[in-house]
Amino acid sequence: MKIKRNVLACLSVMILAGVLCAAGQEQTKVVDTSVSSTSTDTAAGSTISSSKSVHEAAAARYEGEKRYHANCGRCHMAPHKFPSRMMVTIERHMRVRATLTDEDMKYIVRFMTE
Amino acid sequence: MRQSSLFSSYCRISLLGALLTFLAVPGLHAQDQSDNPKPVPVVIGGAGFITTFQGGQPQLGPLIAPVLLVPIGDKWLIESRVTFEANLTQEPGSSAFHGQVLKSIDYAQVDYIANPYMTFTVGRFLTPFGIFNERLYPIWIRNLQTDPLILPIGIGPSQASTGAMVRGGIKATSKININYTAYFSALSTYMPSNVTALDSDRLAGIRAGIFIPDQRLEIGGSFEHLLQDERSNSFGFHGGWQPQALPLELRGEYMRSARGSGYWIEPAYRLNQVPFWQYAMRRTQLVARMQQYWVGAIPSNVLPSVNTREFEFGVNYYFRDGLRAVSSYGRQFSDAGNMNIWTIGLTYRFAFPLGHGDEN
Repeated sequence: MKIKRNVLACLSVMILAGVLCAAGQEQTKVVDTSVSSTSTDTAAGSTISSSKSVHEAAAARYEGEKRYHANCGRCHMAPHKFPSRMMVTIERHMRVRATLTDEDMKYIVRFMTE
Repeated sequence: MRQSSLFSSYCRISLLGALLTFLAVPGLHAQDQSDNPKPVPVVIGGAGFITTFQGGQPQLGPLIAPVLLVPIGDKWLIESRVTFEANLTQEPGSSAFHGQVLKSIDYAQVDYIANPYMTFTVGRFLTPFGIFNERLYPIWIRNLQTDPLILPIGIGPSQASTGAMVRGGIKATSKININYTAYFSALSTYMPSNVTALDSDRLAGIRAGIFIPDQRLEIGGSFEHLLQDERSNSFGFHGGWQPQALPLELRGEYMRSARGSGYWIEPAYRLNQVPFWQYAMRRTQLVARMQQYWVGAIPSNVLPSVNTREFEFGVNYYFRDGLRAVSSYGRQFSDAGNMNIWTIGLTYRFAFPLGHGDEN
C-alpha cells in the first residue's frame, strides 16, 4: 500500500516535472528573443532599426535596473556592481537562494554586466 | 525501524536524483549559446565582531562565514557556507575573555537549474521554513544581530536539512511572480568532533509565496511535517514590503508548531529624506523589532522555556557598500525574569573571484 502510494507520488512529480520542463523550454525561447533582440536588430543595419535597437537597449537597461532594486532589496541593500564573470556566478547563487524568475535573472545579469 | 525509515529516505533521494538526471538530458542539448560572460568561482560572505551584553553579562563574538560558489557549465552550481565563530565570555573572578572557536558547515549543496521554473538541490541545505533562516540570517544582511525567538521552529537541530529540494520562481502574470520550494530531509545523527553539528531531522515541507515587483510586496507561507518523534506539523506565514515612495523595509513572520509559536515584526527606515546632515543621515538606518513567543505542548531545548516578549531598537550606520556599524538595545520580558540586551559591532560583506573576474 505504502509502495503504491510512493510510486503514485513519484509519477505525479515526474508528470509535473515534464510539463514544467516543456513549458520552461518554450519560455526560454520567448525571453531570449526579447532580451537579445537588441543584437538582432543591430545586424539589420538600417537607421530605423538602429534607433529602435538603441531605444530597446535603454528600455532593457531601465527594466534591469528596476528589477535589480526590486529583487535584491527584498533581503538586503542592493550591492554595487561586481566584475562581469563574478556577477554571473553570484546571480546564479541568488537565483537559487531567492527563487528569482528566469526573466528577472536575465534582465538583472544584463544590467549588472553592462 | 529506524534503518527501514533511513532506507526509505535514501530511496526517495535516489529517485529524485534519477529524475534530475532524466531532466538533465534534454537540458544538455537545449543549452543556449548566449553571449553571457563565463562564470568564475567566487568566494563571498560576511565577517564581523559583535559584542553582546545580555542581562549584564558581556560576550564577544568574532565571526567569519565565507560562501564558496563554484559554477559548472550553464546549469550547475556547487555552493557551501562554513562559519567560524567564537563566543568569548568572562569566567568568574577573571577579567579575561575565554572561549573556543566553533566551526560549522552551514550548507554544502549542489544545484541544478533544470529549466526556468525548476532548480533541483541535493546535499545539506538551509531548511527553507519561513524566510529568516535561508535569506536573512547572514551577519551582513540582518538588521538586528540577535536571532528572532521563533527562529528554531521548523528548521531542524542544526538549522539545515540533509536531502533534496526542488524550487523555482515563475512569472504568473505581468505583475505577479510566484515562488515555491518543496524539500525532504533525511534523519542524520552525524556529529563529528571537530565541527559543531551536522545532524538533521527527518521531515518534509513546502514553502510558497507571491512577489509583486511593482509594489515590492512579498507574502507567503510554509508547511512542514516532521517524519519522526511526535510526527507533528508546523506552519508559518511570512511577509515583506519595501514601498517605493519611502526608504522603508517591513518584514515579519508568524510560526506555529507543537513546540511553540510566535511572531516577529521588523520595520527598518533609512534616513534618506531627513533634510539636515544629509551625508550622515542617508547612511543611517533605524530598526525596530517586536516579537512574542508562546511555549508549546512539547518541550524544546532550543526554544525559550517560558512565554517571552521582546522589543528591540537599533541604529545601523553604513560606511560604504558592505561595511557598517551596528548597535541595538532590547528589553526581554518573561516569567524567567526581565533583562536588557545590548549589541554593538561591525559587519562586513566581502566578495572576490577565484580567477579573473572580468572577461579581458
